[in-house]
Amino acid sequence: MKIRARVTLWYAAILTVSLLIMGAGTYQEISEQLHHDHSARVWQHALDETSEMVFDVGLPAIILGLLGGWLITRRALAPVTELTRAVEQKSDHNLREHLQRSGNGDELDRLTEVFNAMTSRLDGSFQRIREFTLHASHELKTPLTVMRGELETALGDEHLTVAQKELLLSQVDEIERLARIVDGLTLLTKADTGQIKLEFEPVRLDELVRESVADAKILAQPQGIKVNLAQCDETAVSGNRDRLRQMLLNLTDNAIKYNQPDGTVAISLSRVGAGAELKIENTGAGVPLELQPRVFERFFRGDRSHSSAVEGCGLGLSIAQWIVQSHNGSIQFTSRPGELTTVTVRLPEATTNAKELLAT
Amino acid sequence: MRVLVVEDEKKTASFIRKALQAEGFAVDVCHRGDEALAAAGTASFDGIVLDIMLPERDGLSVLRQLREQQNRTPVLLLSARGAVNERVEGLNAGADDYLPKPFVIAELVARVRALGRRGSESKPTVLRVANLTLDTISHRAQRGDKFFDLTAREFRLLEFLMRSAGRICGRMSIIEKVWDYDFDPGTNLVDVYVKRLREKIDEEFEPKLLHTVRGVGYVLKE
Repeated sequence: MKIRARVTLWYAAILTVSLLIMGAGTYQEISEQLHHDHSARVWQHALDETSEMVFDVGLPAIILGLLGGWLITRRALAPVTELTRAVEQKSDHNLREHLQRSGNGDELDRLTEVFNAMTSRLDGSFQRIREFTLHASHELKTPLTVMRGELETALGDEHLTVAQKELLLSQVDEIERLARIVDGLTLLTKADTGQIKLEFEPVRLDELVRESVADAKILAQPQGIKVNLAQCDETAVSGNRDRLRQMLLNLTDNAIKYNQPDGTVAISLSRVGAGAELKIENTGAGVPLELQPRVFERFFRGDRSHSSAVEGCGLGLSIAQWIVQSHNGSIQFTSRPGELTTVTVRLPEATTNAKELLAT
Repeated sequence: MRVLVVEDEKKTASFIRKALQAEGFAVDVCHRGDEALAAAGTASFDGIVLDIMLPERDGLSVLRQLREQQNRTPVLLLSARGAVNERVEGLNAGADDYLPKPFVIAELVARVRALGRRGSESKPTVLRVANLTLDTISHRAQRGDKFFDLTAREFRLLEFLMRSAGRICGRMSIIEKVWDYDFDPGTNLVDVYVKRLREKIDEEFEPKLLHTVRGVGYVLKE
């Protein structure tokens, strides 16, 4: 029950009780004035007087009082409603923007002030975490280069046994994986701190899709996976070519990696309403329903037991999500475990500029 | 050939120096931008390996200053991977080549060697390695008297390998030059394509031309 309703009910109860007391008092008074005459007619008169008082004057007064009370609580609580609405808009991205204060120094104004101070502190903490990750990934790059270089120099040694050589080569592979993780982390943290400004241009999305399907077909061949381009409508979007290609590669690569031998990947690009819809469906184990909301989290792996078998940096979907969102689009992941896993990307309609690209 | 290496990270600088020295280069090392300018002003180098991330004065500003002083020494920039803007800026500022970090040292050596030849090289339209030829205008590939059909991607890959014939091409360089990706896709795309290319141009022929350099990349040579 809302505070406003509760306050109004209490108010109504108090008024009713006071009306009853008043009624009882009035009845007492009248009956005392007439205490010598004990006839039934006199009693009746006292009762009539009292009920007249209660119903004709008391009740309207109560209704008026209730109406007034309801209005007063509404007015008093309006800033709270407003504050709730403003707080609802808060997320980790807009912590720096402060809530509007009324400035009249009342309790709610003070609450807003305290809330603003709290979000400022939170914003500071978030900022420090992001900067820490950025610095950490930057600091990791140099030692990786050094390790890579030294291993390579060591590999040049002709006296190495086959086993030693294999060991060094496996370390090179791991260093490359680490370098990819660091790259991905740097990219995402830079995106978080708003350090990446994507330049947009008109892009033929269908051409990028065809290109990545051609690569995907070849990547999928060794595992006997079939890649089909079911539909590819001519579509132009306003976007960043490099990042869109990265998004396509990440998604098709995932569809192949988390597939089953002799499985399939079906890709379609269609124009739906005011935008482009890209669907990538693949067979394979999929992700259990309860874990699906987490697939875009960084370093999330759907199936722990399976994860070590699949190479990857664990950031592919997070990066794809960032790319789609920075193009004002949406990305959705659904999976029926053991059957089909579908990633759907929707990108908004192209500007007229990009549409001209289709005409040429 | 005398090469100046400008790299603030002492360990990185040291293994670049060792690798270049092993290939017969004379190598000078400095760790700061102002030192680099001073060194380039007093001695003459055949090439400069310049890291972009330097303390105080960064590599790009050193490069601009050099070019303002009419110093035309070829420069190979070392940039952080994914920093496309830096790279474009570097080439605009007068760099001759760039290599993203972390790089493959064999490739760095090959690029430094190529720095010396830059400018005198013209771009032939028909490439030839042993009896393998690639016509870059008609996109026709031929070995002996056999012709091959190449997809667009296979053609670009073969063209890149043939233009750098004899030089090691790192996986990341191939990704950048053939696919135009400015990120490491973390797939075995390059290996799969090289395998397909090899089936076409090498399988039925001797000697083999397309060689794997384990842990590094590929090289096309006789």
